[in-house]
Amino acid sequence: MKTVIPVNDKDVLKATRSFLRSLVDRGVVEAMYVPLEMEGGAVLPALVTDPAMLEKANPLAPVMPINGARAVSALTGKHTPGKLGAVLRPCEIRALIELVKLQQANLEGLTLIGVDCAGTFEVSDFTARRKAGSLDWTGYLGGLQSGTAAVDGLPLRAACQMCATPFAENSAVHLELLGSDLAAGIPLTVTDEVGAQLGLAEVARGEGATAALAPSLEARRQTRTKEITAIRERMNAEGGLDELFASCIRCHNCMTACPICYCKTCLFKSASFDHAPDHYFNTARRKGATRLLSDTLLFHVTRMNHMSTSCVSCGMCTSACPSDIPVGAIFSAVGEQVQAAFAYTPGRDVAEALPLVTFRESEWTEVGEAK
Amino acid sequence: MSETTAFEPRVVAFLCNWCTYTGADLAGTSRLQYPPNVRIIRTMCSSAVDPVYVLKPLLEGADGVLIGGCHPGDCHYQTGNYKTRRRYVALQEILKTSGIDARRVWLRWISASEGQKFASTVTDMVAAMKELGPNPARENWAA
Repeated sequence: MKTVIPVNDKDVLKATRSFLRSLVDRGVVEAMYVPLEMEGGAVLPALVTDPAMLEKANPLAPVMPINGARAVSALTGKHTPGKLGAVLRPCEIRALIELVKLQQANLEGLTLIGVDCAGTFEVSDFTARRKAGSLDWTGYLGGLQSGTAAVDGLPLRAACQMCATPFAENSAVHLELLGSDLAAGIPLTVTDEVGAQLGLAEVARGEGATAALAPSLEARRQTRTKEITAIRERMNAEGGLDELFASCIRCHNCMTACPICYCKTCLFKSASFDHAPDHYFNTARRKGATRLLSDTLLFHVTRMNHMSTSCVSCGMCTSACPSDIPVGAIFSAVGEQVQAAFAYTPGRDVAEALPLVTFRESEWTEVGEAK
Repeated sequence: MSETTAFEPRVVAFLCNWCTYTGADLAGTSRLQYPPNVRIIRTMCSSAVDPVYVLKPLLEGADGVLIGGCHPGDCHYQTGNYKTRRRYVALQEILKTSGIDARRVWLRWISASEGQKFASTVTDMVAAMKELGPNPARENWAA
């Protein structure tokens, strides 16, 4: 059902908050995962059960401290204890779908409230601006209209600059924030069931909004192609991989921030690579020297093997990296290649099997035989 | 170059217990000759070879890694080798994109009765690795 959330006095945020509150008041959800504004500038995602707390909710804030798929995984697990609503951005929804396939989350009893996303800023940038009171909110909302979020010339996160998938697909409640003047009303698409629960009436509206975004999406696609091509060239140069990960301090932040890396007993968190002192001496004797900490490339390339089929290019890894390694672009470059081999798009459809858990007998029959 | 300093590739082979490892055993009991450059590790199934086991030797400087499994349709665990095949395809894509020489990793289906095929596979692989030359990772201290 297509409708419009009315906006009074051009206050888009207030209209969004009262809409979220109506979801709780009308019993569509009992609890909501949503970003809340804190004193001091930060915006933090939280699980809200008291509707009054939704006065602090701000799903429009262009910041994403964590990929919400991780949070929804924690809140749903094998059984969700109540009717949960989750306000998520497109890359969070895609990651969540992958986590469902990996049996780390479930969609039962979950109402996905998708918000279109023009891009997010690094947490530190966003918080500092907001704290200083210099965040150009009207500018950001204007950016939503054109699909190119910008606040006082602050750059978007690297992953967002090359994101051409800003629409929150697969959501039961979809706030279509991009491509139209939100001050005149927020376009909304809901399932008929939710529409009936909320007592919403169908409101006819144009479909032209997304067409207006075509140029900015094309520009982002080009940025992505350019970035990924550049990364591939660097990786394929002699010693390229070493150079890219030269400043890695093996803190595992990329893995911790990654919504797909869920393993509780990750090999790299185990003692497997705590070698005996002799091992380091022997390796150094063999090679003349050996890097410490050891096994840095092994860590990254193994992670590529374990999660690149499901990489949704959310770029949380890049944001988490203290050494400014373009981890997200590297994993996107690898992911795109692997996903293409299996004609697989992560986060597209929960019914689509993960490439490495399924097979067809008739495929790749040339593999395993001498040419 | 004298005989003693000629490059001898080191190949790490992960062989499935039911087919290729038994095939290697048959090559031995049949007294078939093949190069001694291969270090064999027995696994219960080719699908038990996580890519990390392939990557570790490759990044440490092994010149080649061979994964041996049952022919498709013959897996002792019904479908393990079909999954190996997909994992191998993914690994090849990752190696190609990340600039690690994908030609150093081979997957071959060799049954328990194919001792000859095992011997010829190892012979071919060692020759191919000689052609490629030493794995540059052998000297790389910064991996």
